[in-house]
Amino acid sequence: MAFIKNRTSDAVAQDERKMPRDCASLVLELDNPDPMVRRWAARDLADCHEAAGDLVSRLRREDDASVREIIFSTLTGLGDGTAVAGLVECLRSQDASLRNEAIEAMQQLPDEVAPIMRGLLADPDADLRIFAVNILESLRHPGVEPWLIEVIEHDAEVNVCATAVDLLGEVGSAAAGAPLKRLKARFADEPYIQFAADLALKRIAEG
Amino acid sequence: MKRILIVDDAATVRMFHRTILESAGYTVDEAVNGIEALEKALQSAYDLYMVDINMPKLDGYGFLRELRGHDIPQPPAIMISTEAEASDQSQAYASGANAYLIKPSKPEQLLVHVRLLIGEA
Repeated sequence: MAFIKNRTSDAVAQDERKMPRDCASLVLELDNPDPMVRRWAARDLADCHEAAGDLVSRLRREDDASVREIIFSTLTGLGDGTAVAGLVECLRSQDASLRNEAIEAMQQLPDEVAPIMRGLLADPDADLRIFAVNILESLRHPGVEPWLIEVIEHDAEVNVCATAVDLLGEVGSAAAGAPLKRLKARFADEPYIQFAADLALKRIAEG
Repeated sequence: MKRILIVDDAATVRMFHRTILESAGYTVDEAVNGIEALEKALQSAYDLYMVDINMPKLDGYGFLRELRGHDIPQPPAIMISTEAEASDQSQAYASGANAYLIKPSKPEQLLVHVRLLIGEA
């Protein structure tokens, strides 16, 4: 009986790296049954701007967490319109971990996400509006406070406002004072809004 | 005194629930995501878990599924979420939740569920 030597992970990785690394071949490897091959392909597609659509497409059916992580990282690096649109679609997924990964990726793209933020905050789906506010938590952009104030002034859904008021307590300035008081009046029968708005007002007053 | 672990990534939500539960005499501990909650649950004994669904690193469903797989005492869990869909509630119960509340919490409603599951403090 012939002796078949087991291939180590490193050996497999080296072998896979010897395969063609042009963009078209890498896109094909995204569908390889071996997660390690898919992982390398996703990583090496970082320089292939035309691959954003294929990465997004793979993301929707990728069930290996480590491959997904690399795809998100590559999409964040590409950061073009197709990549951002793909991340927005992930926000609509029923898969909570996929949504959370998309939120974290979008937080790394302030300049690319800013132009679409108003649209996300006006989406008909309240859950998506909550996720948009979640993106603002770590989005380094001067529009964050004005966007949050718009939310608490106009959004009819209490949980969207609740998420925004939590964040305003951390990033809000004196400009948020009057809107927070109007929010309290608008949701006078919601104990959580009263609690969170009072806390935000206290933090803002303390500077 | 009965101990409750609040698992939520939103600090204000944790503070709000802590205020309600401590005013009713319960002892409260906190975790900011499912990973931290699991570590605490494996190290300490709690009488009840109050778990958010959407959290980074490990969400509420994942935390409960992991927890229920361990051979340790299994106290009840209340899942609290903004998600009002029946499918979310089904998934919560399938993951090991004993009750499901929709945010934002009302103090009296929360305490009714806590007392039903574990009694007075």
